[in-house]
Amino acid sequence: MNTREILLQIGQVLTVLLLAPLLQGIIHQFEERVQRGQGPGIFQPYRDLWKLFHKQIVVPETASWLFWVPPIVAFTCMLTVPILIPVLTDFPLPLSDMGDILGGGLILTLGSFLIILAGLDTSSAYGGIGSSRAVMVSILAEPTLILVFVGITLLAKAMIPFVVNHLLVASWPAYFSPAHLFLVAAFFILLLVETDRMPIHSSTHIEVYMIEEGRILEYSGPLLALLKWASAMKQFILYAIFCNVLVLPWALSLKGTAIGALGAAAGLIVKFTLVGCVVVFVETAQSRLRFYRYQEPLAASFLLAILAIIGTQIF
Amino acid sequence: MNLIGGLALALVLAPLVAALSCLLVRHARACEALNLIASVISLGCALVLTVLVGAPASRLWDDYVVIDRAAVWVILCTSIVYFVASVYAIGYMRLLQEERRLYRFYALFAGFALTTLVAPFMNNIGLYWIAIELTTIVSAFLVAFEREAESMEAAWKYIMVVSAGISLALLGTIVFYWNGSFALGPTYQMTWAALAQVAPKMNRSLLIFSFLLVLVGYGTKVGLAPMHTWLPDAHSESPAPVSAMLSGALLNTAMIGIVRFLAITRAADLGQAPELILVAFGVLSLFVGALFIVRQQGIKRLMAYSSIEHMGVVALGFGFGGPLGIAGALYHMLNHSLNKSLMFFGAGNVMRAYGTRDIEEINGVGGYFPVAGALWLAGAIAITGAPPFGLFLSEFTIMRAGLKPSFSWAVYVMALLLIVIFVGFMNHFRRMYYGPRDEPAPSGAVSAWCAVPMWIVLVPLLVLGLWWPNAMWQYLASTAQSLSGGP
Amino acid sequence: MLIQHLSPLASSLFSLEAIATLLLSFVMLGSRWLKNYLYAFAAESWIIAMLSATAAFFGGYPELYGIAALTFFFRGIVLPLLLWRIIRRLEVDREIHAVLQPSSSIVVGALFVVFALAVAFRVAERLNVELPITVLALTVMLSMTLIGFLILSVRHEAMSQVLGLLVLENGIQIGTQILVPGMPLLLELVILFDLLVVVACFGVLVRYLEIHAGTTSILALKRLVG
Repeated sequence: MNTREILLQIGQVLTVLLLAPLLQGIIHQFEERVQRGQGPGIFQPYRDLWKLFHKQIVVPETASWLFWVPPIVAFTCMLTVPILIPVLTDFPLPLSDMGDILGGGLILTLGSFLIILAGLDTSSAYGGIGSSRAVMVSILAEPTLILVFVGITLLAKAMIPFVVNHLLVASWPAYFSPAHLFLVAAFFILLLVETDRMPIHSSTHIEVYMIEEGRILEYSGPLLALLKWASAMKQFILYAIFCNVLVLPWALSLKGTAIGALGAAAGLIVKFTLVGCVVVFVETAQSRLRFYRYQEPLAASFLLAILAIIGTQIF
Repeated sequence: MNLIGGLALALVLAPLVAALSCLLVRHARACEALNLIASVISLGCALVLTVLVGAPASRLWDDYVVIDRAAVWVILCTSIVYFVASVYAIGYMRLLQEERRLYRFYALFAGFALTTLVAPFMNNIGLYWIAIELTTIVSAFLVAFEREAESMEAAWKYIMVVSAGISLALLGTIVFYWNGSFALGPTYQMTWAALAQVAPKMNRSLLIFSFLLVLVGYGTKVGLAPMHTWLPDAHSESPAPVSAMLSGALLNTAMIGIVRFLAITRAADLGQAPELILVAFGVLSLFVGALFIVRQQGIKRLMAYSSIEHMGVVALGFGFGGPLGIAGALYHMLNHSLNKSLMFFGAGNVMRAYGTRDIEEINGVGGYFPVAGALWLAGAIAITGAPPFGLFLSEFTIMRAGLKPSFSWAVYVMALLLIVIFVGFMNHFRRMYYGPRDEPAPSGAVSAWCAVPMWIVLVPLLVLGLWWPNAMWQYLASTAQSLSGGP
Repeated sequence: MLIQHLSPLASSLFSLEAIATLLLSFVMLGSRWLKNYLYAFAAESWIIAMLSATAAFFGGYPELYGIAALTFFFRGIVLPLLLWRIIRRLEVDREIHAVLQPSSSIVVGALFVVFALAVAFRVAERLNVELPITVLALTVMLSMTLIGFLILSVRHEAMSQVLGLLVLENGIQIGTQILVPGMPLLLELVILFDLLVVVACFGVLVRYLEIHAGTTSILALKRLVG
């Protein structure tokens, strides 16, 4: 464990921390531009966070000690996961075997779980609705997410994501194998669901649609900033898994030099922009599904994950 | 082309010509005559073929057609039913008042007879499948002939369930072919004999798998439980002559396929497994038939469940195996064809006269229709397996064949269920004949066209029950020999 | 046998086409609109035609090119056209009352695929043919059969039942092309035409059904019981 690796590890966490709002801003900007609006500029989330950190915290009277926990724990979870996945480098860093793919998934879920509790804690109506809806979506999405991770594991026959990365970079038949293609499709649907894109889009402030916003409605000031940052980081992490492990496993630093790390970070932005374009395109082309039809894209994702697992068994 | 080939060709061409001419000549009386002539020709050819065909099978036309004793026996049953049903149809269809559409009925009827006559001759397992599929399609239109809501429902259920089952049979056929291709190479003629020859070298688990698929698939067509759900509807909603053909001719044709596949598995020496499965299906069919006969309300549905029961008995006979079992099953096929036609003719008469198909509303049949009623009652006694009719002998033979240690449980269950069926069936007839008369009297008399076929069928039934000549026993034994994997 | 001497390229092509067919049958399972069924079915038939052509190319069976062309034309164009005309005349657009929701059907279909895989593994093991393409062909064939049965039994529109039957036949056709491409030509031709006849008959019967029973929904066919 030399200093360069420690620095790289810290660098990974810092990359996720600092670039997550940028990704959020890029996606919003693209969305607005595609829909022929002006767009708030790609650095708007930074300005929002700055503003929120300078505001007062208002705590509802009905809140308990649990009110303070979710923002801190969720933020910490989102800081922990980048240690486990390939963000900047191609090779596992010293603490990367702290948890494998399934462990990473579980930590992400822990963060979501606590935010759901936060929605229930203040006993407001919108919080309750938002939490129950979020739970329903996650009941449908979590098993599929686990299945996708199992599929990734079976594809590479190893539990850590770096092996998958190497496999896909090294051999073209593995990249185009049916198992991999199905996994990409399944994970793409899950990406849309977990980051609140159409057809499950809910990031408006109209109460009928609120899932995400409903849960954090009672927060203000720095706590709200932490929560928003945590959700932006979750999006960044999911994109990182999607790109670096599955779809575009190239442009990661091979040796771990400073130039390599910076180049990898720049490459991250480029790759994520590409994926973001596709996501925006898919989102604009569809309309929002009725709530009771959320199971349909998730059933399709489940099917694709099962087919991917079958593909790993046959080939 | 020798005599046998010529006879077979004439047998098949007669209904074909009749069907086509019915479509051209749209006159109802002419179509009736054409159909009748075709059925007489077919019957004549079938009788001559039965006598002429020897133990070694003739293979004609590039091995696509096989004429062996088993095929000829089934053709005999079919052509007898075709003949009597054609005679009966003349009288029955006139009652339906559908003069304008009648030519279509006879064209379809002759077409149906054609497809049923062609199927047992097919030497190729794929062509056999196609022939069975064609019978389904033609008969679906016959079932739907009476354009009522119930007929349409019955036709839809028929074509859906049977097509689904037949697709399973296609899957089984493909797997059979694939199994054979390991030993015979990628391309070969899939005749019954070729498959039987290569059967010992075939993979055993795949062979059982494909046999199961074929059994379930063609078993749907035969009407074995639990794939029988289409049978009561289709047989009860179609016009009576069509019901007779469906019960008496089509079920046998599908059964011969199962039996030929069973012969292939016997050649592979798979132990008792295929026979046990067939026996299980037979017992289940008997059970289902018995239960539904006891509590039945429709007169033609009663006959249909009786068909299910008898096909169960035939399956038991073929499953028990051995010369006694197979001979008994073949004999049962003939007796059942004769008897079921009689029952459906009687049911048709009664339905037309009383205007209803509920058993409860039919009473005093013996009083209003002395002759036809007596014939029908005799048929009812026969079909439940009572002596001195033919069915008693064949069922007895099958039971004797089953008294081996592995299958004796089936014989006991069969005997018990046959008693239950006898009691249930006869109870319905008791109510119809000797129950209280409280409904308005039925209208019309039974025309000669409708009564004569019943005589034509009852007499052989009685004769076959009382007299089983040695020559026929030898004939059936040699057929059994060829079906157990012989030459 | 053909599949024992396949180059990796041919093997991947076969697998790709087989898997695409399976995916399209899931598209049929998961949609409510009858038109989507037809599009998926047409695409499926075209892919099967491509599979026949691939088998002809790599296996050296020139007659399969003819089969491929006929499949493309009859199963891929004429059949969907016939069905589309029937649907348009019946004025039915979609399944209104579903016994099993499309999403649940997809999940059940996925379980069927797992079952088919288990069976295919056992069969390949007993046959001592451990090729992935064999297992895949058997899996796709069996699972499409099961999915066809699922569509047949769970859907209640008459046209959906017809399409379930056609999916069944498609599955058997795929298995045939991969496992036994050398099957006599006569049979393949007759099976193809037989399908046309079947669909024509279905068309007539469905029309009668609507006229006399008043509806094409199977849930209404409850007159014959016992």
